Amino acid sequence: MKPNFPAVESSLLPRDPTTLEALPPKQQPGYYPGFSTLSQSAFWDDATRQVVDTRVKQPPSRKFFSPEAWAFWTAVFAHLVPQTDRTPDRQIPLVPMLDDRLAANRTVGYRFEDMPQDRVVYEIGIDAINREAEHRHGGEFLVLSSRHRDEVLKAIEQGTPEAAPEIWKKMSVKRFWQIIMTDAIDAYYAHPWAWDEIGFGGPAYPRAYTRLERGEPEPWEVEEKRYDWLPPVTAVSGEVDGTDTDDQSHHGSGGTH
Amino acid sequence: MKEPLLGAFKAPKDGKHMLGALQSIHLPMRRFKDDEEVDYAIVGVGSAGGVLLQRLARAGFNVVGLEAGPFWDTERDWVSDEAGSHNLYWTEPRVTGGSDPLALGANNCGKGVGGGSVHWASFTPRLHPSDFEVYTRDGVGVDWPIDYADIKPYYEQLELEMPVAGPAYYPWGHPHGYAYGPHPMGGVGNALIKGCTALNIPVSIGGPVAILSGSHGDRPHCIYRGFCIQGCKVGAKASTLITHVPDALRKGAEIRDLCMVWRIELGKDGRVRGVHYFDGKGESHFQRAKAVILCGYAIETPRLLLNSACSRHENGLANSSGVLGHYLMAQAGNVIMGRFDQPVRMYKAPPAHALTEEFYETDPKNDFARGYAIQTVGPLPQAFGKQMLASKRAWGWGLRREMMDYNHWAAFGLLGEILPWDDNRVTLAEDKDRFGLRVAHVNFNLRDNDKKLIKAGKEKTKQVMQAAGATEIVQEGRYAHLVGGCRMGSDSRSSVVDKFGRSHDVANLFVCDGSLFPTQGSANPGLTIQALAARTADYLISQGDRIFTSNDRDMTNPPIRPELAPPETWGKGVPRLK
Repeated sequence: MKPNFPAVESSLLPRDPTTLEALPPKQQPGYYPGFSTLSQSAFWDDATRQVVDTRVKQPPSRKFFSPEAWAFWTAVFAHLVPQTDRTPDRQIPLVPMLDDRLAANRTVGYRFEDMPQDRVVYEIGIDAINREAEHRHGGEFLVLSSRHRDEVLKAIEQGTPEAAPEIWKKMSVKRFWQIIMTDAIDAYYAHPWAWDEIGFGGPAYPRAYTRLERGEPEPWEVEEKRYDWLPPVTAVSGEVDGTDTDDQSHHGSGGTH
Repeated sequence: MKEPLLGAFKAPKDGKHMLGALQSIHLPMRRFKDDEEVDYAIVGVGSAGGVLLQRLARAGFNVVGLEAGPFWDTERDWVSDEAGSHNLYWTEPRVTGGSDPLALGANNCGKGVGGGSVHWASFTPRLHPSDFEVYTRDGVGVDWPIDYADIKPYYEQLELEMPVAGPAYYPWGHPHGYAYGPHPMGGVGNALIKGCTALNIPVSIGGPVAILSGSHGDRPHCIYRGFCIQGCKVGAKASTLITHVPDALRKGAEIRDLCMVWRIELGKDGRVRGVHYFDGKGESHFQRAKAVILCGYAIETPRLLLNSACSRHENGLANSSGVLGHYLMAQAGNVIMGRFDQPVRMYKAPPAHALTEEFYETDPKNDFARGYAIQTVGPLPQAFGKQMLASKRAWGWGLRREMMDYNHWAAFGLLGEILPWDDNRVTLAEDKDRFGLRVAHVNFNLRDNDKKLIKAGKEKTKQVMQAAGATEIVQEGRYAHLVGGCRMGSDSRSSVVDKFGRSHDVANLFVCDGSLFPTQGSANPGLTIQALAARTADYLISQGDRIFTSNDRDMTNPPIRPELAPPETWGKGVPRLK
């Protein structure tokens, strides 16, 4: 199933910081023009090639969500990891990966005691977000403008939703945000197009990496070419906050000890 | 050039079971009959279970390893891909809570033959002599029932069996050297060296890690592809799957994979009769055994004992002390990330390749006891995204922007000692798993000493990152490793097992995994777990049939049996150390 994205208005596109004009969507955003991990797949082992190939060519079709829930979460995830800077043919399917996970009831291997099961989280989460949308902007999430959708999600990100207290009694706002963001991140950054965007070399067995120091590219990688950009004028998610919060991430795997 | 010179790489098609790029074994293996009584049933074939299986098989015992996960073929089952490696981890349901709840699953729990050693980053520092007597020295935690001299020969032996690569002179704890040479530096290691050097902090370069820096038998050297914790397809990183299991099978051990042990059965004589397990089809079986060794790690071993409660053991099997499941520990594992103007590309090289233990010991100048280490880590994109979420509250366009700078970041891991506390514990939750068994509930709270230690460790690590030249520094709170829960001790009122891992209550029931640790130091636990397994094996072998027939408890230390090591690792081959 192909993800269904609406046609893009310029107010939803990242901007040039000098002219403040919308930047046209690209096949490959990021600072590594021409870099393609998939072009190297002949150098990967069979099993890896198969897993990545399937991910690119056959995103899972809907099995768990109702059509309404699928449409709802597709709209939410388009704000958690927005992709309007990508041409429609190069947008990365996010909700299909989530749906596949929930259909198989695949979890991280634990639930926090202040959280329901993941399937329940994605069920009552719809109501929680819609109630917040009604409260703030007088309509369900799907009828709101892009700006207002961002604002509803920002309230949850900040841990300050004002509606649906009885739902938030059943699940921690903070952990709800971690779960939906984790699913969005897991889907987006598992895709080789995202690897190309951030300059990650990807699989390297059996070939090996040979230039380990000073951030040097392999002969088949490319040098970074940076450009400046501003988030879309309608977005409120452009800011980050690196204050030491001691927040624990919801993950456990990557590159750790 | 878009194609490899010798054509696209294909997995071998001849039905060989691959354990790394070159090593293979021929199956089927030995299969004991269903009603046959084996000498030892080992529950969990991970870091400790793999070593025990190998030693006991080599010594001639009939031994079967029951493993809940699959028997991996590394060429077919493993991939160079974060998302595709989900099944390496213990992802059966659990509940986590307390004031500082632990992430479980991929963070610290393995599933499948090799267990956690399949996805460890494979830092292999030893514990320090001080770790065995923290109560005597500092009045905190508890002393171990063994001391450094007891475990030292096993450290030396396992460092060759894995083998460990590292510097020729390692200055901390009991100073020692490594026989296999250190690894070259990646970008993160260079940052750690630069930061430490600027602050006059000694740093260990290129190890100690259980990753081959030169080829060893049928195992090729490291190719620096960075996917260590997704399982090493190369076979360069040690896991018991490739270091000990092949020898165990050649010597007649059986591994029954996809078999979930759910209950230990006690006979009328108060001795264990065997274990009940579900096979891959969900059918229940009973394996009779003269003795049982639990190697399910710090959560599943206590859970199994709690789920095996019976009359005379109402609070859990082997729990007359009441401390079963208690004193669970994780280490502080905060990740400190620094952004550099120049690219780093931290996905290259093993995540584990340099560290400092300069702050490991208690320092009277501090307002806390014990200490911490600082190590390299190398998160891949999915993990890094979640770290940007946790450390910078990045989402939406902010997340996309931060991630485009992935190649400019380096990450250091704090590894800090958290003390054993009575209320950090494993109990049974009301939730049930797919077999209808109650799942584990894990409670975890930090205490004052832990919080002060973490604060100081974070500050020091940030200073090192700054001295390395980072222009922006952020951090993510997390924990690493799991130990404790069935701690060993001399006093049966305050510990679950004795110094050989034998239950104080049931004479033919043993525990051998990370749950034995009374305290944990700030060394990664993998090497110590395997060293304790080799020591327990020597004890069992020296006791012979008495384990199967007698309730007497001989506390004499066994002689070390280096000749039971896998071939070409001890006294033969290179290096030829005796």
